[in-house]
Amino acid sequence: MATALWLQGGACSGNTMSFLNADEPTVCDLVTDFGIEVLWHPSLGMEMGNQVQELLRNIVNGSIPLDVFIFEGTVIQGPNGSGRYNMFAERPMKDWVYELAHVANYVVAVGNCAVQGNIPATPPNPTDSTGLQFHRTEMGGFLGKDFRSKAGLPVINIPGCPAHYDWITQILVAIATGRGKDIKLDEYNRPQTFFKTYTQTGCTRVQFYEYKIPTEEFGQGTRKGCLFYEFGCRGPETHSSCNRILWNKQSSKTRAGHPCIGCTEYGFPHGELEVGTIFKTQKVLGVIPKELQEGIDPVSYMVHAAIARAVAPKWANEDMFVV
Amino acid sequence: MATKEVKTASETKELHISPVGRVEGDLDVKVIIEDGVVKDAWTEASMFRGFEIILRGKDPQAGLIVTPRVCGICGGSHLYKAAFALDTAWQTELPPNALLIRNIAQACETAQSIPRWFYALFAIDLVHRNYARSSMYEEAVRRFAPFTGKHYELGVTISAKPVEIYAIFGGQWPHSSFMVPGGVMGAPNLADITRAKAIMEYYRENWLESVWLGCSVDRWLENKTWDDIMAWLEESENHYNSDLGFFIRYCMDIGLDKYGGGVGRYIATGTYLHHELYTKPTIEGRNEALQQPSGVYDGEKFHEFDHMNVREDVTHSFYEGNSMLHPWEGETIPVDPADGKKRGKYSWAKAPRYLIDGKPITVEAGPLARQVACGQEPKGKYWDHDPLFLNLIRTLGPSVMVRVLARMHEAAKLYKKIHEWLDAIELEEKFYIKPKELPEGKGFGATEAARGALSDWIVIEDGKIKNYQIITPTAWNIGPRDANGTRGPMEEAFIGAPIANPEDPIEIGHIARSFDSCLVCTVHVYDGKTSKELAKYRIVGK
Repeated sequence: MATALWLQGGACSGNTMSFLNADEPTVCDLVTDFGIEVLWHPSLGMEMGNQVQELLRNIVNGSIPLDVFIFEGTVIQGPNGSGRYNMFAERPMKDWVYELAHVANYVVAVGNCAVQGNIPATPPNPTDSTGLQFHRTEMGGFLGKDFRSKAGLPVINIPGCPAHYDWITQILVAIATGRGKDIKLDEYNRPQTFFKTYTQTGCTRVQFYEYKIPTEEFGQGTRKGCLFYEFGCRGPETHSSCNRILWNKQSSKTRAGHPCIGCTEYGFPHGELEVGTIFKTQKVLGVIPKELQEGIDPVSYMVHAAIARAVAPKWANEDMFVV
Repeated sequence: MATKEVKTASETKELHISPVGRVEGDLDVKVIIEDGVVKDAWTEASMFRGFEIILRGKDPQAGLIVTPRVCGICGGSHLYKAAFALDTAWQTELPPNALLIRNIAQACETAQSIPRWFYALFAIDLVHRNYARSSMYEEAVRRFAPFTGKHYELGVTISAKPVEIYAIFGGQWPHSSFMVPGGVMGAPNLADITRAKAIMEYYRENWLESVWLGCSVDRWLENKTWDDIMAWLEESENHYNSDLGFFIRYCMDIGLDKYGGGVGRYIATGTYLHHELYTKPTIEGRNEALQQPSGVYDGEKFHEFDHMNVREDVTHSFYEGNSMLHPWEGETIPVDPADGKKRGKYSWAKAPRYLIDGKPITVEAGPLARQVACGQEPKGKYWDHDPLFLNLIRTLGPSVMVRVLARMHEAAKLYKKIHEWLDAIELEEKFYIKPKELPEGKGFGATEAARGALSDWIVIEDGKIKNYQIITPTAWNIGPRDANGTRGPMEEAFIGAPIANPEDPIEIGHIARSFDSCLVCTVHVYDGKTSKELAKYRIVGK
């Protein structure tokens, strides 16, 4: 049994939409099988207007206990710190967020906007958006680095743009079934169970990565090769389980020929969307990818690459994902 | 509802409803009621994120990553039109396969949205206690009650199926960026196509025909008039008792066929560019290459859609000035709402208008608009011709019910089109043709998101974005008044609605939700307070 409240700040609803795709458990299973009582959600709530304000006030004053406060979207602080770019139930949303975060047992940031500010916080950050406990890669954000919820935890960050439904639902089930203590967080307060591995872990193109065989062109060109070398794929350096727990039960970006854009990391959007950074690998001296996998230096990379290419078997240069 | 109420001698009440949930974002509505009927209304979008500002000066392809994230509900639609905006600006060539895959993905997103929107967002209001006196109420509760209704969970879970197809081609839904200038990123293999077909069959068998229609897709699509629908209803018990049959009967019982009509003028930018006709995308060649027709209906006749007639008025929006600009020249300069209110501004949505003979008119966007557009004489070889909804608005008149029916009608059509397009893919052929990245150019891309006309205008200069403007269906519908004081389409739709209980005005919710204004879709949104002319009334909190 657990009560949950879900609010949206500077949000696109993408995490809600992802959440609604859930399976094992479905959103309904969370309610009927795991006793999660959804006090309110902007898409799913029955109440309007005053009824919501009354509910929020009762949560803040403690008469309705709140186990999990889930926030989607950025905390909008503008203009000039007033929060008036995002009003909710007749107050700046940021004021609700502050009060609710301090009465909840657990605070969960769902999606990269709530985690670190994401696209709305990309320069020039017109709304002065930030994440709950990070601003981009810096710890702090709206609630500050020392914030702890009533259960003694920092904000549990479930990044991704959007977060995969499974990353959300399994954490909720963990809390509802008394496994909150097993949610181990990494240095960015992400559940390690989902974010220790790399996006590349389980990628179907990993053999091409090892032999340094690039995908040369989109479309028919993606029948072979790895997207890291030409298309800016961030799979090797991004922490996620996109290729372990597939999207929509079917696929993942990299499997479908779409370079990973690193949306579970706090530097996303990487390169701030500047000219030349979109779907293109940034290189040093025209050949070495500027950003390499954790723990690999350019010299080791060059040596490895030369050997890998030399020993690459014939099939590594042929189409693999054929008709 | 955050219902603040004002009583005056003449039985005038002012309701300020904040927030109206389940419209995806924050929408504040203020209405004035006289003798139980809405006399005036203001819709106030209460959130601003500034995406158009963020896009300025960035990589020309930034829109492929940024615009889907304007709205997670119709992100695939954002991607579709953002890709075409670049295709027109860079003068790309598209292989037929790429057009087919883009169309399949766009259609799957909409096929997802139809049951998800109906069951999770709209139908749960049908079990509102205001309707407890209806003899059909218990059955409505049995079917549509949130989380526990017999078809609620099915509606939510079935909606995840079509976007599995989106993930097969695009890697994931929501928020893929797999449509790129020149085509699509990947190339499917054989099992991708066969699996996609199997998923659509699952959708048909487990919901569309068995639960929703109560008949075959083809039988439903034989209906061309309201009389046909009435005859269909009585034709078999399966029709009568299907969710669609029940919904029609319930609407007529509780009066949803009587109000919420709106302006009666419609805009459709059309979509589904044909794979043989749009391999060289141009703005001029767009209308002819559509499969879902475009057009502007002025209440009597149709006008050809021309994006050069689109304007955005910011007189009552929280942006500098009171201009009415074409989006290529569009500006997004926010003002502090506290200051804006002093100048009569009240919403983060701009007010889009369409010029007919140089005069700006308000038009409704959405499934009803595009189904009405299907009623005109086809102007392209592959235009869908379907007279049903033109007949409905001319015989019954528009209403909450008709707007919802238009949306649900599309499930049957999209099911057929998705199969047709899957069958047309030539797996051995190209899915992408590498374009030249031109440093200068102007582009226009548009589609029909589930909830209506969605367009991008891009200006590229010196290899970067000089201007990027987005007009969403929500902006078309919930935009505020313009310089002439003319109400926006949703504001107009509230007028005349009967409010049974001002303490709990569910009717406002029905109307707002029938437009499915996913407010985050507007890009700019805010919360309002009482407008000046009403300040003389004392506001009494509930």
